[in-house]
Amino acid sequence: MKKNKRAAIVGVPPLAVVRQLEAEGAEVVDLDMPMAGVSLERAADCLPKVYCAILRTVVANAVSMQPGRIFIDVGRGKCDGAVHVATILRHILPEVEVIAVENHDREPFGTPRCVTKMPLADKMQAITKSVTTSAAHPLFATCRATAGFWGVPPRDFSLLEFFPDTTHVFGWARCMENKTPDNSQLEEFFDPEIPTVFFTQSFCAKSALARYLASLHPCALAVDSDVAVGNSGRAKIQAFLELNGVR
Amino acid sequence: MLLADFGTSYVKLWDTSEDMPHLLATKDATGLTADIATGHNSQRRAKRSVNELTALAKGGGALIADDSYTLLDCGSRDIKFVRFERGRLKDMGWNTECGASMGFTIELLARYYHLDYQTMAVPRQAFAVTCGVLGMSRIFDAVIEGASEAEAVARFVKGIALNAFAFAGSPEKIYLSGGLCDNPLFVGSFPCQVAPLGRFVLLEGLRAMLDDEHQLRMLRPLPIP
Repeated sequence: MKKNKRAAIVGVPPLAVVRQLEAEGAEVVDLDMPMAGVSLERAADCLPKVYCAILRTVVANAVSMQPGRIFIDVGRGKCDGAVHVATILRHILPEVEVIAVENHDREPFGTPRCVTKMPLADKMQAITKSVTTSAAHPLFATCRATAGFWGVPPRDFSLLEFFPDTTHVFGWARCMENKTPDNSQLEEFFDPEIPTVFFTQSFCAKSALARYLASLHPCALAVDSDVAVGNSGRAKIQAFLELNGVR
Repeated sequence: MLLADFGTSYVKLWDTSEDMPHLLATKDATGLTADIATGHNSQRRAKRSVNELTALAKGGGALIADDSYTLLDCGSRDIKFVRFERGRLKDMGWNTECGASMGFTIELLARYYHLDYQTMAVPRQAFAVTCGVLGMSRIFDAVIEGASEAEAVARFVKGIALNAFAFAGSPEKIYLSGGLCDNPLFVGSFPCQVAPLGRFVLLEGLRAMLDDEHQLRMLRPLPIP
């Protein structure tokens, strides 16, 4: 395998891959996260505009930074869209080694950030950052939950600002921290005792699961957003939390 | 204390020392500020701004005796709803895109074509329209094809009502909020029972919030000296 100091990941690659990159001393970059100065227009030539904003971000970042290697999870732990994005990246970036991986890890790594008291945006940032390292999670005290956020890390973190610091994280974001992205049992878990927002990116297949789980939850709101959360989405989240007495 | 609902076409005001709220055209309310407000620009024009969905839900709680209901607010520029089941919030929505300019367009059409909605019958058919702006061309097409202006506008209004009904989840009964409560063509176009609550529901919500907070303050124990 070609040694390159800059390796990019998409989704949550297997722990063995992360350890391998650490052993090589590679700089690991997460292509799912928006990068400063990179416009989504960079993806416009090869992806439809009406498409998952996370995958558009992946392509825009990849085109912009052109890392030596991209490890992209194309298994059940990511999504079908990643399979197609891997194909597209191979075609449009022939100099970049695009390596399709499937994460079947089953060993739970723990989810301390998901259940601790911390501003939700910081918590989500820390969770997404944690997928680039094999280091054990730091210890965090568990807090009593007053609200729940189920779903994936949103492209636009500003929608997280309405949630209290005592929000517990569920869904695929919890699977991320646990380093078991293909764990449907963990992904489907929620706490029926706390008001919970079920979030997905627009045009994401997980929106079916989000809506279904929200219908099972006694106090839930299903919300989706595309590139940036709109006024109506923000208002719905704020009103949902207010009207359910979440402070 | 002055409460306000800063709408796109009208500002609804309620001085809490008075019994009744009143209405002002938005274009005549420049420079007006309130103590507590909801609606567009409320963050700039009030000491305290309240989310419109929260104000709507609180208004529903104050005005509706049932504990299970759907309350739909049709404004000049957007539509929003809250649905409660057995006293608990079950669903809500706020459509700023596909409900765009709905109420405003309905009012505009009446002025342009010199129509009186109080005298217009509900048509059998409706246009399939998603918003005020996109639906205008359906009116022009129908008039060109020979329909009267009144008939074309009535079908447009019914299409808008059906769209709002679907947006609110197609309930058996809708409690309606907003200025369109006074439009019998619009109200009669819903394929369900409609209970119009008028245009001051959000103000009632602000008032209810104020009353709740006052009661909480009264219940709070006095500090020990």
